[in-house]
Amino acid sequence: MIKLNPLTLKKIRRFKTIKRGYYAFIIFAVMISVSLFAELLINKRAIIVHFQGSYYFPTYGDIIPGTEFGLDYAYETNYRQLATQFKTEKSGNWVLMPPVPYDAFENDLKEDTYPPFPPSFTEQHYLGTDTVGRDMVARLVYGFRIAIFFSLALLVSTYIIGISIGCAMGFWGGLFDLFFQRIIEIWSNMPVLYVIIIIASIISPTFTILLLIMVFFSWTSMTWTMRTITYKEKTREYVLAAKVMGASNYRIIFKHIIPNTVAIIVTFAPFAVSSGIILITSLDYLGFGLPPPTPSWGDLLAQGWANMEAKWIASSVVAAMTLTLILVTFVGEAVREAFDPKLHTTYE
Amino acid sequence: MINKKLIKKITLIKAFSFLFIVSFICACGEDTQKSDTKETPAVETIDQTQKTYTREKLPGKIKWLTNTADPIFSSPDVKKGGIFRSSITAFPPTFRVVGPDSNSSFRSAILDNQLSLIGIHPNTENIIPELATHWAFGKDKKTMYFKLNKNARWSDGHSVTAEDFAFTLEFMRSKHIVAPWYNDYYTKEIDRVIIYDDYTLAVVVTKAQPDLHLRAGMSPMPKHFYGTLDATFVRKYNWEIVPNTGPYQVSDFKKGKYVKFKRKKDWWAKDLHYFKNRYNVDTVTFNVVRDSNILWEYFKKAKTDVFGITIPKYWHEKTKTPVVKNGYVHKIWFFNDTQQSAQGLWLNQDKEIFKDRNVRYAFSHAMNIQKVIKKILRNDYSRLEHGFMGYGRYSNTNIRARRFDLKQVDYYMKKSGWKRGPDGIWIKNGQRFSVDVSYHFDEHSPRLVVLKEEAKKAGIDLRLQKLDQSAWYKKVVEKKHDVAWVGWSTSLRPQYWEHFHSINAHKPQTNNITNTDDSEMDTLIDAFRNSLDEEKRIVLSKKIQAKIHEIGSFVPTFRVPYVRQAYWKWWHLPDIPGTKHTGDLFDPFSSATGGLFWYDEELHKETKAAMKKSIKFEPVTIIDKTYKR
Repeated sequence: MIKLNPLTLKKIRRFKTIKRGYYAFIIFAVMISVSLFAELLINKRAIIVHFQGSYYFPTYGDIIPGTEFGLDYAYETNYRQLATQFKTEKSGNWVLMPPVPYDAFENDLKEDTYPPFPPSFTEQHYLGTDTVGRDMVARLVYGFRIAIFFSLALLVSTYIIGISIGCAMGFWGGLFDLFFQRIIEIWSNMPVLYVIIIIASIISPTFTILLLIMVFFSWTSMTWTMRTITYKEKTREYVLAAKVMGASNYRIIFKHIIPNTVAIIVTFAPFAVSSGIILITSLDYLGFGLPPPTPSWGDLLAQGWANMEAKWIASSVVAAMTLTLILVTFVGEAVREAFDPKLHTTYE
Repeated sequence: MINKKLIKKITLIKAFSFLFIVSFICACGEDTQKSDTKETPAVETIDQTQKTYTREKLPGKIKWLTNTADPIFSSPDVKKGGIFRSSITAFPPTFRVVGPDSNSSFRSAILDNQLSLIGIHPNTENIIPELATHWAFGKDKKTMYFKLNKNARWSDGHSVTAEDFAFTLEFMRSKHIVAPWYNDYYTKEIDRVIIYDDYTLAVVVTKAQPDLHLRAGMSPMPKHFYGTLDATFVRKYNWEIVPNTGPYQVSDFKKGKYVKFKRKKDWWAKDLHYFKNRYNVDTVTFNVVRDSNILWEYFKKAKTDVFGITIPKYWHEKTKTPVVKNGYVHKIWFFNDTQQSAQGLWLNQDKEIFKDRNVRYAFSHAMNIQKVIKKILRNDYSRLEHGFMGYGRYSNTNIRARRFDLKQVDYYMKKSGWKRGPDGIWIKNGQRFSVDVSYHFDEHSPRLVVLKEEAKKAGIDLRLQKLDQSAWYKKVVEKKHDVAWVGWSTSLRPQYWEHFHSINAHKPQTNNITNTDDSEMDTLIDAFRNSLDEEKRIVLSKKIQAKIHEIGSFVPTFRVPYVRQAYWKWWHLPDIPGTKHTGDLFDPFSSATGGLFWYDEELHKETKAAMKKSIKFEPVTIIDKTYKR
């Protein structure tokens, strides 16, 4: 655990007093943690099945074929059907289904009527279905999970690369700095979106590939800031003092400089998260993101646009996106305010 | 271009280019440059000394034939004039019709304006005149004689003469055009042209043919325009407007934006029997619109005149929109009676997993096509039973596609020693039954996701791989796919050789995308290709189809024996709106089926005025079952 300096602790306390940002942060954190356990809440697999005296927990792990419950098929049990069957049989067997008994891939299709189906509480499609009969809630939540973890992973990896290179540039300066400045200038002039689109149209990208491509092109954003701060910090007395005491470059960078730049890095983070979400959503929208049938907001947006008459598609995904982005922005604002150096520095 | 073009005229490509996928009709390859002479129809086997033409005296006893007796299918009420605005999804990579990158779907717009010696009547399938007024068959079944129409003119005013046909052979055999398929075809299939005088010629094919007219009725290249070909051909002619003989010529284009065609004011063939009252609009514009949703919005704003609504979602749902309800836009459902595109899933047998016939059978039984038709396509489509339906007597009506059947899947998989893994997917020696399905058309995603979910029940994991059209095309013709989602365009007669002969297997850039390599199949196909007797060919054709079914590397999906379109009120169609072979009622160019519609200026003004004042008309939906079977 990194020991936080008193100033940082003060900043965190300050952040907590900014209610709007603080609550937004809590809600956002809850959303993420809930999405981690989405399988228990939104799933076509039951949470618990009680069958002939024994208990089954099908949520995680391998599939349980229908034959296990005395059904006549060898593929995965349809738990919704099983639940109604057990109910009518009244043999003491029961099934506990999640609140939304659909997953993000299953096509719930009907006779003589065609998807998209409007929201219906009796069928437990609380936000209706998309154009192939998949539950909207499930698509939204699982899509959220993918988008948020994508953007977090993007954030972490670009920060690691950006901070190390930026820091090194600022710390060593000279030719190394000059060389990397030019590299970054060239690099950041590449039309990222087009490059991604070209690559994505040739290969059908997976989560990791897409992440790698994006990291490859977006690590530059942090370098400039880090370089500048490091330049500034490097000449401060405490760094000089550390040098005099014989501290290694490694120690100076990681023990002294980086902890002192956290404030600035952190203020950028929430906005980087929201831009990450927007990036993957727009790629999915254009059809160059994760391949179907991966649940994604971009895909839902595209469906919403192609099926304006099915209002529930566009409206729910737009609402979900707005909510998420507003929360992130509130957090970002509060962080920025809490970490505002003017509040913590006194000039003599 | 030769027979291919002739055949092609009555294909479905255009109407379905929106719906289906492929338009590489004769892309039998751009490869074979350096392969074994024995095995392949390779370029180097071309005898460079083979003469393109000879000059001879016309033999005495020739029985000239012509045909002006078949029914006309255009309307006598047409009016000339107007601009027809159509669209293309991508700007063509070149205007050349041979050589690299030439096989795009736009090619048909150019080819359709290149008339051939003869045409095929779209309803009777009899020969009808185009550039030739008369024709005759030699007794050897290898020679076909033609008398050219003396009025026939290239768009730059030069007469079309027998020399142009001789030149076509020289052109097509030239290595400078970088088109091995054509090099090969015009060497191996067409022997030479005989010139009797400027307006009389014969085309001699190398082997006696049952359907000689499909090969010999070639389309000429303008000799005066090309002169001598050299190595610069490919680059030099990328954007050249080549003189043509058809009703329209490219008049203007802006790369990436649009291509404009103008009707020739004084087209030489405008009063010919089968061309009368056709090709009525003055200008045809193809604007590049890359997205079908945007195109639909354009259409609703009358920025494009016609929109294909064959897809059930459009016909049933999306057309519930004010412009249709208020009668400004009409809907038409026209049943045709034509060759069905072989669309479906093509399994690559060079992939380890599909080498096992049982696995291929199991795969077929795991595809719940029926459910897709019923639940997604609103029962509007039918199941395609095999790849060659709608070829009349050449089609085997006894074949039934393998239906979704979990017990059969179980049977075949277990027979080959596969077991269900913990995730329910079949597994053998550590290999999961998980395959890529490559496709490119967004509108097909709903069908594929349903197939995917159903296949899961059968223990097969489909990984859907949506690619950009050109990336997808490349992947498929280079045989790098596991499973390709492809619909082929059609020809007048079934084309087995290019899809199923071992000569085209295991190498890139051929149409044998299943890599079918079966000696029995080869024997059948060779016999089919070499036979002159129609009855025998029909028997063989049916046998080949049964064999294809037995090999099981193709899972047929849908059949759509009709076309549905929406068009603005000011466009008119004849009383019988199309022909048996019509794939697009608003095809502006096709010499067989196109150019039947016309523009009504007054109605246009009237409709515009009515729209301004919000005056409504009765909504119109035409359902034409003239050719429905």
